Amino acid sequence: MANSMLRRTVLQWIAAATGALPFPAVRAWAQTTNFPGRHQATLRELAALVLPAELGHSGVDRIADRFEQWIRDYRPGAGMENGYGFPRVRTKPPSPAPIYLAQLEALSEPLSQADKAAKRNAIESALDRAGIKDLPRQPDGKHIVTDLMSFYFHGSDANDLCYLAAIRRESCRGLKGSDAPPPSMKGPA
Amino acid sequence: MPRYESDVCIIGGGISAAMLAQKLAELRPGKKIIVVEAGSKLFDLEKRMDYRRRFLDYSENPWPGDFIEDQSAKGIISRTMAVGGSALHWGGTCNRFSEEDLRLHSMYGLATDWPIEWKELEKFYCEAERRLGVSGQPSPIPEDWRSEPYPMPAMTMTHNLIELKKWAEKSGISFWTTPQAKNTVPYDGRAQCIRCNTCSICPTGARYSPDFTFKQLLEKKRIVLHDQTLIRRLILHDTKDVVVSATGVDRQRPDEPVEYHAPVFVIASGYTWSPHLLLLSRSSRFPAGLANKSGLVGKYMCGHAFQSAFIEIDAKIYPGMNEQHGLISRQFFRSKPDQPFVRHDLRVWESAAGHEPRLRSKDGRLLLGDDLLADWRNRAQRGTARVRGYIDVHPDRESSLTLDDASRNRWGDPLPKIEHRLDAPTLARQDAIHKHMQGIFDTLAKANNGRILSTSTGNYLDHPAGGCRMGHDPASSVCDSFGQTHDHENLFVVGAPTLPAAGCTNGTLTFVALTLRSAEKIALGCGAGCQPARDC
Repeated sequence: MANSMLRRTVLQWIAAATGALPFPAVRAWAQTTNFPGRHQATLRELAALVLPAELGHSGVDRIADRFEQWIRDYRPGAGMENGYGFPRVRTKPPSPAPIYLAQLEALSEPLSQADKAAKRNAIESALDRAGIKDLPRQPDGKHIVTDLMSFYFHGSDANDLCYLAAIRRESCRGLKGSDAPPPSMKGPA
Repeated sequence: MPRYESDVCIIGGGISAAMLAQKLAELRPGKKIIVVEAGSKLFDLEKRMDYRRRFLDYSENPWPGDFIEDQSAKGIISRTMAVGGSALHWGGTCNRFSEEDLRLHSMYGLATDWPIEWKELEKFYCEAERRLGVSGQPSPIPEDWRSEPYPMPAMTMTHNLIELKKWAEKSGISFWTTPQAKNTVPYDGRAQCIRCNTCSICPTGARYSPDFTFKQLLEKKRIVLHDQTLIRRLILHDTKDVVVSATGVDRQRPDEPVEYHAPVFVIASGYTWSPHLLLLSRSSRFPAGLANKSGLVGKYMCGHAFQSAFIEIDAKIYPGMNEQHGLISRQFFRSKPDQPFVRHDLRVWESAAGHEPRLRSKDGRLLLGDDLLADWRNRAQRGTARVRGYIDVHPDRESSLTLDDASRNRWGDPLPKIEHRLDAPTLARQDAIHKHMQGIFDTLAKANNGRILSTSTGNYLDHPAGGCRMGHDPASSVCDSFGQTHDHENLFVVGAPTLPAAGCTNGTLTFVALTLRSAEKIALGCGAGCQPARDC
């Protein structure tokens, strides 16, 4: 326990001292491992704006937490699927954490305002400046707004919420009963 | 130099090698069989659930280490090089060809006939289905007769497929479920499918892959497997036209060559690496490569074309119930003599295309949170069918695999370059094919107030094969129907390279069936302790 707290403190210090760290790779590693650092409140504000209200406050926070974990578990340089048809050897690009942190920093002030329209305008402007037109299939590191949305909306839970049915696309579900429509849901699982 | 002796040396470790090794070990127990594979062993079923999760969450390679960085080919469609080969990843689709594939020349005056009768091949289809563990529903078309039932009941049709079948059959075309090497009941020591929806990385082993066969054979000590060993040359006897050894390198000890000696050599390295090895094995007596007196090694490289459509339909589809399982129609396997030659299968799968979440509405308005969900729900009222036809096209002689001197591996060997070319009759009927397929998509769409969202034509040939085609005549083929090369009595080629054409549906079951037939011929030679004579 004490070791874990010490590790966390050190990581927080490293992540906070981004400007002072001489090695970008070490800095990115620290920012990834400690994501979102001091920007957790901004990330949750963002999640509340871009995720469906049907999820409720706790549901939105849960998705934000899962997104944080997704970033912390990101493995830069891991081998990617080579593809079929026109295969090529590819590896995962560097962690998106440093870019996300800079974007959260830029959004922190407008997202702390009470006016929902102002928050929305800030997001729209940020996406326009980044030239983003659609949701990526998977988070691609271009912008935390669309990556958070992609993380959720392209996932199995959002698919279930859209169809209000427990399809559970990413689960191993057995064959029995699959000839019937999936059980209906009233709201988020 | 390490030197290994065996009764049969199999070069390559994919699905054909697995089936051949398994059958030979049964027919000739006690004979020493060595399998040499350039890639690694990935016997890690216990890790596949984690790999699957990383694949879903991060698009990481679900088969880490399944390729060799500097062993690639221009024009190849999969980088997989490991024990199990491309069938580690496959979808498990186990369609049969039809008699027309074997009689293209005599029935239609096209391409060439195969040197084997349909009745003979059908027997080995049944065996292939038993060994792979195929679950399926028989085709209702009389010409698709089968002499044995499928070993397992068909995969349950999901609600989505039931809806799609209702929709598709309104067009007057019959559909049924696609046969697959997936366990609908526990089979051959592997589990029943639990519908994980990621068949390319099946985490339970319910979908057959050759690593299971190799593991069984190794546990029973029926074979010796040398993985990470790249065979670079086959060496001929000084005066006779027989292969005496295969030389290569153990990739873990790259400076130390290895040598394999056997009375029989079988190349089971797939459509790329089989002709490649023969071409690399050129010598003063065979300057164009081994088994290549005809000049046809690396020629007639084939595959099938494909056209696809996404069609929006009036049906309640829940995307994700079992996206890997689909419907098939074999109604178009038989081209009518009085019409342009068009043969294809027809496949239907569930899809979410056109009904996915989007960031902006049609008029460009940014959609966030509830707005996005409402827009998505509104569009998801209707379902989508993914429709595809694999189309029979025939290779030109110059549809080729050549040695590319500009691209070499770390040992300096030129790597393969594949350039597919269609023959003149195929090119001449492209418009008719396109018109026919568009007509099929239109017919399906109209059947139930449907709307075609998009159509596309494949820009490569799928399910590739060829390069060592079989035939009766040594002047126009590389090997006979058993894969025995015309030029070297103790050298066989099995699997995809022997196919003269790639048919109009997935080819794996066909080349596994042919390989199982080859095993019987090879076993005859093994039994006598000699090379398999042509009159065996």
